[in-house]
Amino acid sequence: MSTRRSDVFRRKLARLGWGLSAPALTVIAAVTVFPIAYAIAMSVSNVNATGSGFSLSGITGSNYSIMFHAAQWRYALFFTIVYTAVTVAVEVVLGTAIALVLERLSAGRGWMMALLLIPWSMITVINAQLWGYIYNPTYGILDTVFSHIGLGTPVVLGTRVPAIAALMVADIWKTTPFVAIIVLAGLVMIPRDFYEAAEVDGASGWTAFWRITFPLLRPTIALAVLFRVLQAFGLFDLPFVLTSGGPGYSTQSLAILAYNAMFRDLDFGPGAAVATSTALLVVIGCLLFLRVFRAQAEREA
Amino acid sequence: MRNRSRHKQRRVFSGVNLAALLVFLFIALPLYWMIASAFKTPANVGASPPQYLPHPASVQNFNVAFSQNTFGRYIVNSVIVAVAATALVLVLGTLAGYAMARLPMRGTFTILVILLMISVFPEIAVVVPLYALLRDIGWLNSYQALIIPYTAFFLPFAIWILRNYFLAIPHEMEESARIDGANPLRTIWSIILPQAWPGLFTAAIFTFTACWTEFLMALSFNVSNDYRTIPVGVALFGSQFTVPYGTLFAASVVAVVPIGILVFIFRRSVVSGLTAGAVKG
Repeated sequence: MSTRRSDVFRRKLARLGWGLSAPALTVIAAVTVFPIAYAIAMSVSNVNATGSGFSLSGITGSNYSIMFHAAQWRYALFFTIVYTAVTVAVEVVLGTAIALVLERLSAGRGWMMALLLIPWSMITVINAQLWGYIYNPTYGILDTVFSHIGLGTPVVLGTRVPAIAALMVADIWKTTPFVAIIVLAGLVMIPRDFYEAAEVDGASGWTAFWRITFPLLRPTIALAVLFRVLQAFGLFDLPFVLTSGGPGYSTQSLAILAYNAMFRDLDFGPGAAVATSTALLVVIGCLLFLRVFRAQAEREA
Repeated sequence: MRNRSRHKQRRVFSGVNLAALLVFLFIALPLYWMIASAFKTPANVGASPPQYLPHPASVQNFNVAFSQNTFGRYIVNSVIVAVAATALVLVLGTLAGYAMARLPMRGTFTILVILLMISVFPEIAVVVPLYALLRDIGWLNSYQALIIPYTAFFLPFAIWILRNYFLAIPHEMEESARIDGANPLRTIWSIILPQAWPGLFTAAIFTFTACWTEFLMALSFNVSNDYRTIPVGVALFGSQFTVPYGTLFAASVVAVVPIGILVFIFRRSVVSGLTAGAVKG
């Protein structure tokens, strides 16, 4: 009798839960589900832009076949993967180092944290313009610095490898603080006595880091990596402003390629194929990560 | 023993301080460069070799940005869009976050995973269909063309933050309210919210910052100058050959400083929000 009653009560509460969630879930679904479905449909149809919108006709694999055969797409995929791998690796190493420094800092830690939050909260487009000014070939400060130390005056944004490096530097400047803050929060939760025990055992700082700090930080770092990887994979704002994907298409990320295909060249079908496959890669990456992360957590538990 | 460790700590300090100084310079120098350039005269912004200090200091760039150009308009647009979307996100996110933290709904975990994926979904994949949709209902070049998509795309992360906060609030008071037959909205309003305001704050700052910096949708949906937001104005300013950096940085300083101050004042909430996901796993 009493279990029946509590069952009814539970069902009532669950209904209430759905009722409270409904407005949020409806807005999210309305704005995301239809566009995602439509983008997928566009990527497998012949798309004609008409005066009043698009008309889709027939099912075809030609958009994807165009995409797979395009040297630009293959390069954009390669560029996006390399860019993501390098920036995230540098950001994690540098961010962890900064967090270790800040944790040992006796005074002014709050001020440093506040300073770190400024690049994080900065509009990416402004960040891009700022670095564009720094890299400017005629009056950029980088030129002056390079000629002072006798390295000549490089054409930063006009040649392939320096342009890619320049983008990475701008990204690393903006996002390393984010990683540092997350890692720092993980660091301060590690109990002091762990280190004291290590000190008694005569472990060096380096050993203590790899034996104690790093294993305990791993879940925190893994989460930071996930967020950064997924974000970096959608790279758009920075190259749009700083290099327009150039020189040639050497800094053209998948998102820039899809944007150019759809908004500049009006190749909606192939553009949708690029955009949809990029999203698919992100979703697969996210699911794989969650699976590995949960398996690891269960093994450790 | 104690003596030794204290001694060791003191020795480490100088190295740590040096490293901290390097970190400080790494972050602060580019910021200094932007602010300093905003206060140079327009001619000196393009000086070669560059001026390290603005001499003479000038507010001419600010005049050009705000009286000869429409950066004021862009900032107002950004404020309207970001405030409206943040308000919507907070209201809808609180209701959903509460439900997912407290009420026995089936499939909450699946929903949370889907929400996580939406919050990292590449915008480029939905921009064209959304553009077509907004055009069909006549919303291109309007505030709602950004407010509604921003609400939808930034809600998932806010729900995550809020749910985590609600999970940490003790149950007892709510249960007694429930037994007393209080209406659920009333329970949220008078029992949950007073305890959860740090979480609300964090969610608000995150959503606001996300709206304030969003570029791709703003660029695609609002082409008209009257509805451009700050990122679009900053990105499209200047021609292919010259970018008037002085004007641009004057506008940028005005766009960055208020957020910087906000983030600085509420740094604790921001940091706890940044780490909420990490802590909960």
